[in-house]
Amino acid sequence: MINPFVKNKKLFTIYLITWFSIFLLHTIILNWFLSININSALIDSIIFNGLYLLLGISIWYPVNYNTLDIYSTSKIFINHIAAAFISTGFWIIAGFYLTKNILIEDKIYIVFLNKSLVWRLIIGIMYYSIITAIDYVIIYYNNFQEKLIREAELKALIKEAELKSLKYQINPHFIFNSLNSINALIINNPQKAQEMTVKLSSFLRNTLSKNEHQKNKLEDEINYSKLYLDIEKIRFEDKFDFIEEIDPECKNVMIPSMILQPLFENAIKHGVYESLEKIIIKLKCLKTDEYFKIIVENNYDPEAVPRRGEGIGIKNIQNRLKLIYNQDNLLSVEKSNNIFRVNIYIPI
Amino acid sequence: MNKKIKVIIVDDEKLARDIIKTYLAKYDTIQIVAECSNGFEALKQINELKPDLIFLDIQMPKISGFEMLELLEDPPIIIFTTAFDNYAIKAFEVNAIDYLLKPFSEERFDDSIQKAMNLLNNKNESNKKLEALSRTLEQKVEFLERVVIKQNQKIIIIPVSEIKFIEAQDDYVMIYTSKGNYLKEKTMKYFEEYLNPQNFIRIHRSYIANISCIKQIELYEKESYKIILDDSTKLPVSKTGFQKIKELIR
Repeated sequence: MINPFVKNKKLFTIYLITWFSIFLLHTIILNWFLSININSALIDSIIFNGLYLLLGISIWYPVNYNTLDIYSTSKIFINHIAAAFISTGFWIIAGFYLTKNILIEDKIYIVFLNKSLVWRLIIGIMYYSIITAIDYVIIYYNNFQEKLIREAELKALIKEAELKSLKYQINPHFIFNSLNSINALIINNPQKAQEMTVKLSSFLRNTLSKNEHQKNKLEDEINYSKLYLDIEKIRFEDKFDFIEEIDPECKNVMIPSMILQPLFENAIKHGVYESLEKIIIKLKCLKTDEYFKIIVENNYDPEAVPRRGEGIGIKNIQNRLKLIYNQDNLLSVEKSNNIFRVNIYIPI
Repeated sequence: MNKKIKVIIVDDEKLARDIIKTYLAKYDTIQIVAECSNGFEALKQINELKPDLIFLDIQMPKISGFEMLELLEDPPIIIFTTAFDNYAIKAFEVNAIDYLLKPFSEERFDDSIQKAMNLLNNKNESNKKLEALSRTLEQKVEFLERVVIKQNQKIIIIPVSEIKFIEAQDDYVMIYTSKGNYLKEKTMKYFEEYLNPQNFIRIHRSYIANISCIKQIELYEKESYKIILDDSTKLPVSKTGFQKIKELIR
């Protein structure tokens, strides 16, 4: 992040005005109360305050790299104490030699300068603390603003995802084909027709009602996806198998709603629809130290020539994960040995 | 009519085939000679059994119903059965006599059978009415995404993005790809119409080139140009072809 004092003209102006006031105050104190002649007082004030004006801008960088999301409070505190002493030390040394060289003739001033070093150290540390505090306020204000924007984005994206998933799941092709299967079953196997009607209805109802919530238990998401898989199973019979390998610890993990079903739909579309061989769809979930890792994989026919529309669903899921968890690397896709695999990482 | 009508049902879902079988059961003049669950199988059975009528699903693994039809030398009467409604116009283009939208009622199905029987009883009376109808419909061209080619017993599917250029050869065209060259029984006009003009350009009476494969244009003789593809093939460019390229660059 670029220093806001430099980036933002208004802030920079305020910063300069503040230093100008300090400079005036500094001069007045030296001249009136400490009887330093006006010329020397001005030079002292210009040099010391000018140096800190520059130093103050550079404090932004240690502040920016010492935030709570990276370090613990005590570590930050220690870092800043060290930085305060080092920067103030440099400031005093540089100021001391500059003023001494310029004002070597003014004996009264030189005596005063030598005596003032402790005071200057206190003032320097005070400056450091104030600027650091202001910098932190700016950072947290910016972060807060960013968070607001991100939340708005997230809401928009969820809306979009809802619409898209509605369009996807209430995919007319899928519904009409399912209804066609029911039509056939009514004559040949009424009981199964009934079963499929109920499943299709539950699936549609779930799809329609679910969008309000942002997160659901993995277990519930699986059950919902299974409705979809069961319907496809009735349609395609032995053309695919579904295998679950779920760590018991995973069952209650909360995941963003509607991220599994599109993956299964993908597997069916690009695996089962396009292949003459049997497809195995696997769902795995395991817990690691930092993540719940959810894997959806299927084998596919490497010779099938894709038709269209690959990856929009996956892209959509990736965007949602990024916005919800503020992390970029929560979804990965692997294609190897005729296995198509999507990994999702849910931070703990 | 003393000969039974031979029917083949092509659909990748068993239940979808079942419903057609059920609806057909009452017709004793109709005999189901085969059921196929994919285009390859259907191709084989149709060539072997020479059915009079096929029920054909469009979306199937590997090759679609349309792609399968392209590979048939003498297609029978076709009734499409599909859950998609957006292929109707294309269906008439390939001379289907009907288009059943899944799920369909028995009455609707019987209508189709009636149409098919009329046509079979009176072969000369072709499907002119439907053809005329489909021509009056506003045609929304769907660009080709893949090209299917039958080479001896093998069926090759080429995504159009892999095509470098197409060359006219009498009644055929030669399709050049990085993996080989394939002969296909279609006209240049067909490809000019069905390949997306954003990707393909007819540069000459005998050539259509994939724009992304064009590396440079070279002055060959006075007022005559050639394009060089990225594999350094040189193709002639006609005057109108050159105009098109110029517009494209601009």
